[in-house]
Amino acid sequence: MTFAFLILAIILVASAIGVVALKNPLNSALCLVLNFMGIACMYAMLDAHFLAAVQVIVYAGAIMVLVVFVLMLLNVKSEEPVRGGLFFFGIAIGASLVFLRIISSTVFSGADQIPAGAPGLSGTAAAIGEVLFTKYVFPFEAASILIMAAIVGAVMLAKKRYKEAV
Amino acid sequence: MELVILAIKLFVVFNLIMGLASICTWIERKGSALIQDRIGANRAGAFSTTDILVLKPVFVVIRFFGMLGVINTLVNDGVKAIFKEDFIPEGVSNFMHCLAPFMAVFPVFVAYALIPFAPDFDLFGYHIRPQLASIDAGILFIFAMGSVAVYGVAIAGWAGNNKFSLLGGLRAAAQMISYELSMGITLVTLIVLYGTLDLYEMVEAQKSGWGIIKQPLAFIVLFAVGMAETKRGPFDLPESESELVAGYFTEYSGMKFLLFWLGEFAEIALFAALLSILFCGGWLIPFVELPKGVWWAALIGHIVLMTKIIFFCVLQIVIRWTLPRFRYDQLMNLGWKILLPVSMVNLMITAALKLWWG
Repeated sequence: MTFAFLILAIILVASAIGVVALKNPLNSALCLVLNFMGIACMYAMLDAHFLAAVQVIVYAGAIMVLVVFVLMLLNVKSEEPVRGGLFFFGIAIGASLVFLRIISSTVFSGADQIPAGAPGLSGTAAAIGEVLFTKYVFPFEAASILIMAAIVGAVMLAKKRYKEAV
Repeated sequence: MELVILAIKLFVVFNLIMGLASICTWIERKGSALIQDRIGANRAGAFSTTDILVLKPVFVVIRFFGMLGVINTLVNDGVKAIFKEDFIPEGVSNFMHCLAPFMAVFPVFVAYALIPFAPDFDLFGYHIRPQLASIDAGILFIFAMGSVAVYGVAIAGWAGNNKFSLLGGLRAAAQMISYELSMGITLVTLIVLYGTLDLYEMVEAQKSGWGIIKQPLAFIVLFAVGMAETKRGPFDLPESESELVAGYFTEYSGMKFLLFWLGEFAEIALFAALLSILFCGGWLIPFVELPKGVWWAALIGHIVLMTKIIFFCVLQIVIRWTLPRFRYDQLMNLGWKILLPVSMVNLMITAALKLWWG
């Protein structure tokens, strides 16, 4: 298990670096797909098969397909490297530090001490569904309303521009 | 021992995929000839003879298969593809060009890991479930693999480095994304109906009556979606030869082209397997109860399931050679304005019925 984890971790980190470092946007997008698939494999290794399947369906299958589709449609050429200077460098460092703080607080809070496959924590569809519709029903519904608003907003903006063009 | 059983299962399932894909190729060749009032492949190997007495019976079989066109479609085409020049157009990323065929084949093959090919049986003291991976997500995993299959054609279209390929890849991606919505909602309907995500339990739940009787609408929607997802039949806009040469695999030759071909036929067989498992009771025979856990009952069940799968393969191929191609707006209208609302209404009715009458 640790050997598989090691290989997976190397793939994950390499693909994450590839997303930022590669010049062709399509290559970056495919690196991101690889990264999402790797995360799905991580979930599967933790016995959370449902989460793994949903990760592949939503991120690799839906969102990234749209990204790749748009990149192909616009036929984007390789990007010139941007020299952002000290300001952007500072922003990048700051954001990284914030994320490091969040991740480290999770890692050192003892959440990793729970053995995989413990009762009540397994990632089965039934368990996730029950928790989602009882304990976390408010965030779940709030998120769905947010997405709905975003869809309606996108349609409205597109329609407005269409009318102006005509 | 567990590993040995897994290895045997892997071997059997892999050969089942290759066998189904080969049978589909042959049915396509010979069936299209019959539909178009031609004779079709019947020469290669049909006149082969030998002077060695021991090999005479073997050559009788070879001549028989040659006359049926099996040798032409399976042996000759494979050999031809291997010896053909592997052409890569100028100015494309070599890596992407070689990656695309594998991305087209890989998800289809992986999805077969979830298909149960026979009922459970006991052999030499081991309880064997003829399914490679019985994971909790079940049918969702197949759906996930179906959505990943878009990358193969999209990258292939992009790596062709010409406008025909790119248009073919874009059309394929748009078509697959559009029809995946109806497919997902139909699968949710079936999950609500059977109350499980596992394909094996779905078959067992159909003992009271096949799914096609309970959900005729869902069957029609999933059949249409299956035809569209395999990019064949009246839905073959991505490779329409009168407009786009061959669409996304215009620039592919030899073994890479054959990989696309193989993936396409494996996908046909996959959808046939899904239709027979979800709607036609898998290995169940109506009004006949086979004993549980016996190897010969499992074998009969396997033969019944394979018969259903091949029936649906033939049906898809017959439709592909009978109907003319859609126009692009008709394709999008069918996906977004007919199949999607129908499957949504079907889901709501099914859920309401399930809630009030169990």
